[in-house]
Amino acid sequence: MAAAAPDPTEIPLGLYVHLPWCVRKCPYCDFNSHEAGTDLPETTYTDALLADLEQEADWRQGRPIQSVFFGGGTPSLFSGRALGRLLDRLRQLGWLADDAEITLEANPGTVERRYFADYVSAGINRISLGVQSFDDAALTRLGRIHGRDDVFRAWDLLQSLGLKRLNIDLMHGLPEQTPDSALADLNAALTLDPGHLSWYQLTIEPNTVFYRHTPELPSEPVLEAIEDQGRARLLEAGYAQYEISAWARPGHECRHNINYWTFGDYIGIGAGAHGKLTGPAGPMRTTRTRMPDHYLQAVNGGRRQQPVQDTDLVFEYMLNVLRLRAGAPEQLFSARTGLPLDTLEPQLTQLRKKGLLHNDRHALTDLGWRFYNDAVAAWVN
Amino acid sequence: MSEELSDLSHIRNFSIIAHIDHGKSTLADRFIQVCGGLTKREMAEQVLDSMDLERERGITIKAQSVTLNYRARDGKTYQLNFIDTPGHVDFSYEVSRSLFACEGALLVVDAAQGVEAQSVANCYTAIEQDLEVIPILNKIDLPQAEPERVAQEIESVIGLEAMDAVRCSAKSGQGVEDVLEELVRRVPPPQGNIEGNLQALIIDSWFDNYLGVVSLVRIRHGRLRKGDKILIKSTGKAHGVDEIGYFDPKRHVIQELKAGEVGYIVAGIKDIHGAPVGDTITSAKTPDVAQLPGFQKVKPQVYAGLFTVNSDDYEDFRDALEKLSLNDASLFYEPESSDALGFGFRCGFLGMLHMEIIQERLEREYDLDLITTAPTVVFEVIKSDGTTIYVDNPSRLPEPGAIEEIREPIVRANILVPQEHLGAVITLCTEKRGTQVDMQFTGSQVNVIYDMPMHEVVLDFFDRLKSASRGFASLDFAFDRYQAAPMVRLDVLVNGDQVDALAVIMHRDQVHSRGRALCEKMKELIPRQMFDVAIQAAIGRQVVSRTTVKALRKNVTAKCYGGDVTRKKKLLEKQKQGKKRMKQVGNVEIPQDAFLAVLKADN
Repeated sequence: MAAAAPDPTEIPLGLYVHLPWCVRKCPYCDFNSHEAGTDLPETTYTDALLADLEQEADWRQGRPIQSVFFGGGTPSLFSGRALGRLLDRLRQLGWLADDAEITLEANPGTVERRYFADYVSAGINRISLGVQSFDDAALTRLGRIHGRDDVFRAWDLLQSLGLKRLNIDLMHGLPEQTPDSALADLNAALTLDPGHLSWYQLTIEPNTVFYRHTPELPSEPVLEAIEDQGRARLLEAGYAQYEISAWARPGHECRHNINYWTFGDYIGIGAGAHGKLTGPAGPMRTTRTRMPDHYLQAVNGGRRQQPVQDTDLVFEYMLNVLRLRAGAPEQLFSARTGLPLDTLEPQLTQLRKKGLLHNDRHALTDLGWRFYNDAVAAWVN
Repeated sequence: MSEELSDLSHIRNFSIIAHIDHGKSTLADRFIQVCGGLTKREMAEQVLDSMDLERERGITIKAQSVTLNYRARDGKTYQLNFIDTPGHVDFSYEVSRSLFACEGALLVVDAAQGVEAQSVANCYTAIEQDLEVIPILNKIDLPQAEPERVAQEIESVIGLEAMDAVRCSAKSGQGVEDVLEELVRRVPPPQGNIEGNLQALIIDSWFDNYLGVVSLVRIRHGRLRKGDKILIKSTGKAHGVDEIGYFDPKRHVIQELKAGEVGYIVAGIKDIHGAPVGDTITSAKTPDVAQLPGFQKVKPQVYAGLFTVNSDDYEDFRDALEKLSLNDASLFYEPESSDALGFGFRCGFLGMLHMEIIQERLEREYDLDLITTAPTVVFEVIKSDGTTIYVDNPSRLPEPGAIEEIREPIVRANILVPQEHLGAVITLCTEKRGTQVDMQFTGSQVNVIYDMPMHEVVLDFFDRLKSASRGFASLDFAFDRYQAAPMVRLDVLVNGDQVDALAVIMHRDQVHSRGRALCEKMKELIPRQMFDVAIQAAIGRQVVSRTTVKALRKNVTAKCYGGDVTRKKKLLEKQKQGKKRMKQVGNVEIPQDAFLAVLKADN
């Protein structure tokens, strides 16, 4: 396929930092996270991250980093001093955009004033709080280390520190959940008036405790009712569903995630982190060794890179942009992938005929929105 | 050539008539063992059933032969040619073909179970052909064996003297040599003139990937030598004989076959139509030698459309059918095109088992993904213009206005059933629109004769009969006549579109119950999709039944971030793999087995 390589300098760049430890592994979680022992190797891991970051220097190609996301695990197990070292280094190198969005994922059970004050002074300006539910019994079933009261306490603290951009992660479709209890969770979250709300259905993933011992989940009609009522409630409260599982008030959308979904570039550092970077030969995927110990010992964190094949590229592009309610303008496809627009055929026309896709842009219709998997699967070989 | 060999008195050609599971293969294996054809180590279990499928299903499909040398108690060595016969009702024509080459047959009956209808039918064929039929009571080592009762039954049902029948156990080996002695004593040696002009019968032909066509032949008169120029009478073509031999069951190459003997020949023939079963072989030098009475050409009884799930596989499918038909003269196929399924083939089979076996072989040996449409029998249709047509495809049935009369094929079915299950069997026959012709009480079994629509018999009747009688009833049937009946075509509409491949021809009285069952079954088989799928069964414009597959509400992966791409891809690949086995008809994805729903919907 004759492809003009996309111009990387036109592609926004983000940074993902993986901090793979948590207090206790949740039974539904299939992320690369490991229970922290008595002492967290905070310093050595931060040293490794700094080294890891600098090996990506060439891939930056002069672009400022628009967003940083500390994900995990439970990144709030790391001190503000440690995370600050990394952010300071970014500034020192001149890589960080002045108005960069810098997000930290935090567990309500680990929110302490001393740590969070340090985060704020280190430059972290957005917190994503892993609430999941406001029902203590549900939280216990989910294996969470926090309770309902912890959430309110944490929220007060975050607000007192002047943090304006806050997200609440909330799950639905939990074991024993009814439409009423799901709505109660949602209402509790809305009383806190977060700018951003990730509201997503619990799914059972392989390699989790729940996969081996699956709890009884609500029936399909119950799940439908939860979703219908929840959606209506969120719309009523003034939130827009800008992505399949992300709701926000205007201006509060997560820039870092939008960059994923518009097929932007991102550096991924830390154990098991994935990155996507565009080079002279086109888009590449980068990975790091998964196990924290191995990552610390490996040369270059076990960095590997692999070009994305043309057929995969089309699929990956669509997998991402179709998650956005607004989708993407057609010309973004070539700008991001370097492939001509007709590479998307014949699937594009077929999906439009079926009424799943809008005609003027790469965005799902109301029907397509409910059958996202079917639409994206059109590009799976 | 020695004196002894010029004489045919040491040759015995025989078949074994036995119902499935009555122990034919085990007995044949014992013969081979006793006669030293294979060492113990080589005795794979049931060596005669050579195709994997045959072994898995425990039935013999293709006739085969073994030549054994048996040293009898009279001190002489006899050449025993055993010509195997298949044991399933679908393959009955192959039985008569094997019998043509023999002077005798062993009727092997399970001493614990008694006589089965299939064996009775085959026995009569053998007797009609003047074969010496020798009853054998097998499995006498079983505690529930009742040799006296079963012997009586053989006498009353078939009319063969059986009180002195040899009792044996092929499994333990007990009495097996007595069977061979009886065989040598009672089966007459073949008659033929070794010095006469060559006249040989083709018992079977099959295609071998290395040798080309191999034909199993029985020499009536004369000799056949390697290098001879032979003439196939019906094709008029001459071929040079490249190889001659016999199986014991290993293949042995020899120089010559003589009158009375059975063996194989290879003569550079490219496909089995060049050496038709039942044809006569003579020498190219004596083209005027008379043709032997051949076999009745077999007609398929069941027709179905076969289509590839993926239309790109059409060429491979055609090649595969071509290859399979090299070995199976009874397999009929011609191109068919369906609005719903695209290009495929309408195939004719001897029966449902034959159909299943062909389908399985196509999928297993040729790696094809196939959709089979509901099987149908052939209807005779008298059109309003007075012409008669035969319809083997429901979608080809003319418009009702153009039809004067539809005639369905009727079979005469012989059923043997122990008295205690008679009631259940009669109920079943009535349900299947049968008319009782006769009923004879013979010992503990009853011989019930019904005339039944073939359509009702070929589909699932055999299985139903077995379950109605706890496995004891047995069945044999043959086409009898065409008879007028109020048949109609039931169409199936999926979301308002008529799907030609789902149409079935049935009796008017069954339309409502079967229409409903069919819709319900389709509902079970068609997965929920993005929209409601309406399934309707209709006669012309009149809808007789309908159901709806409710729309799936959503199919969405909840959460997905940067690093998840590979994993999400795997998930979607899996979902898509499942869909690949479905056929897109209009907007609707229909799984393979839904096209056979009408079979599964039959109560």
